[in-house]
Amino acid sequence: MVRASAIAEKAGIPTATIVATGFLGQAKATAKALGMANLGIAEYPGIIMNQSKEELRKNVEEVLVKNIIQVLTKPVENAVKVNEPGRADIIFEGTLDEVNEYFIQKQWSDGLPIIPPTVERVQLFLGFTDRKPDDLIGILAPANREATVWSVAVNGVMAGCRPEYMPVLIAIVEAIAEPDFHLRDAGATPGWEPLIVLNGPIVKELDFNYESGVLRAGRQANTSIGRFIRLYMRNVAGLLIAPGSTDKGSIGLGLNVVLAENEDAVSELGWESFSSQRGFNRDDNVVTVQSALSTTIPIYSAGDTALDHMDTFVEVFGGTCAFWSHTAVRKGKYFPLLIISPGVAKVIARDGWTKKDIQQHLFEHTKVSVRALEKHAWQIGFSEFDLHALVEKGIISKAYSQSHDPDRLVPAFIRPEWIGIVVSGDPGRNQSKGFVQNHDQAPPISKKIVLPSDWKKLFEGVKKTNAED
Amino acid sequence: MSEPVYKVVWPLGKSTYQIVSMKPRIADLAGKTIGELSHGGFRDQEIRPIVEEVLAKQFPGIKFIDHTAFGNIHGRNETEAIAALPENLHRHGVDAVISGIGS
Repeated sequence: MVRASAIAEKAGIPTATIVATGFLGQAKATAKALGMANLGIAEYPGIIMNQSKEELRKNVEEVLVKNIIQVLTKPVENAVKVNEPGRADIIFEGTLDEVNEYFIQKQWSDGLPIIPPTVERVQLFLGFTDRKPDDLIGILAPANREATVWSVAVNGVMAGCRPEYMPVLIAIVEAIAEPDFHLRDAGATPGWEPLIVLNGPIVKELDFNYESGVLRAGRQANTSIGRFIRLYMRNVAGLLIAPGSTDKGSIGLGLNVVLAENEDAVSELGWESFSSQRGFNRDDNVVTVQSALSTTIPIYSAGDTALDHMDTFVEVFGGTCAFWSHTAVRKGKYFPLLIISPGVAKVIARDGWTKKDIQQHLFEHTKVSVRALEKHAWQIGFSEFDLHALVEKGIISKAYSQSHDPDRLVPAFIRPEWIGIVVSGDPGRNQSKGFVQNHDQAPPISKKIVLPSDWKKLFEGVKKTNAED
Repeated sequence: MSEPVYKVVWPLGKSTYQIVSMKPRIADLAGKTIGELSHGGFRDQEIRPIVEEVLAKQFPGIKFIDHTAFGNIHGRNETEAIAALPENLHRHGVDAVISGIGS
């Protein structure tokens, strides 16, 4: 709402933006980052969705309208921009503890200890890319700050990454900087977390875990890069949880470590990898970043036929994702992701199934009742939810408007090819797990990892140093 | 024990915004045209009629342009709706905007 108001103000038209009490800080921070710190915000008191009709009327009559009149008629002062440090300016000197304390006070830390970002350490990271430090990758909302190769290196240092991870870090920031990623919405109340999927020879080269405990913290590459993206979103995109105000994830989710696909297993199965399904070659190193709202429970599926396992996938993965389909149909986008362990994938592949067959089966068999969609849509705040109108606008297919029976079943997923399939996890157990995704907010965006021209020599140097240590 | 001292750099990126000069507000809303922007959520369809009713009582001649005239500003086609907004607001002779609901 603030962004739309800012456009109107730029067009010379005064605005009043209605914002509920709990979102005032976020609205003001967003307005400031748009150059309008004094944008008129009209507070609506309390939690709108929990109020009776009588309370709502009283709040509008006695509070909201007065606030609207005030912001539309009261003279407003223009904001003043403050000076900020240059990229290589030394902003603090101190011991490890003092640096950490300073960064916590400035809200530049995620609360875990950071590695102090000295110029020397940053330069080590910059040595692993052919790009210039000032290369602009994008502008990251909501803070609207420049994402540069330099700031990638700084935050990579802080997160505890190794310098040789730099090409991966750059590709990650390239992905989240894409306008279609909608990073500006990463502070929305559902509280989605970025999930990085990694493919290619670099999985083994940089020692990523892709077997048991693949989603646990515990392997440096997976963990530190998972930490990096959240730290970067905090510092450059400006997404701050309380006492900050731009990240309104009501409860949120802990950070995700990097999910690396088991490339060997994929080859043995004769399947496409996650990235090759997205148009890349098998020998390309690729990062894909997308939103992840929550995981399913561990999905234990048993049997010696593909259908034995698919039935359970539909029941648990499909069933879990169906609870979020009301958001998907409203935007016509949904990109959930299913991680299948190699042992389960082997049974499915043995019956001649491909990843495409799995996607198609999940799409055709996972249904949700319209009554459930409407109930959950209302509760989240979509008070004008109308499937027939969404079909008329071409946002969803006619499968959603076959009748007006509220108990009819409709597809829980939007398109079969939008269901991600990754082979990973413990090869010795029959377990899979899924991620619910947040519609058009952070759909999967893939970027090829560009290695420096002398990567082989640089990387050999790293291996030699590590061996000597 | 003497601990090492670290000289550290700034972890943020250069801010890109430019200060936008805000136009004067409106002294009196009577007779003015109000454009409504919405994403259709958070009981907007209940709140907006009450806002219109109360404002109409206080400011004779005030006129409202319904949010449907400007498209859903946070829907699937929000990029297009936002891009077309300045022209649409001027085309409808809008003097002020009420945008909501942020929640």
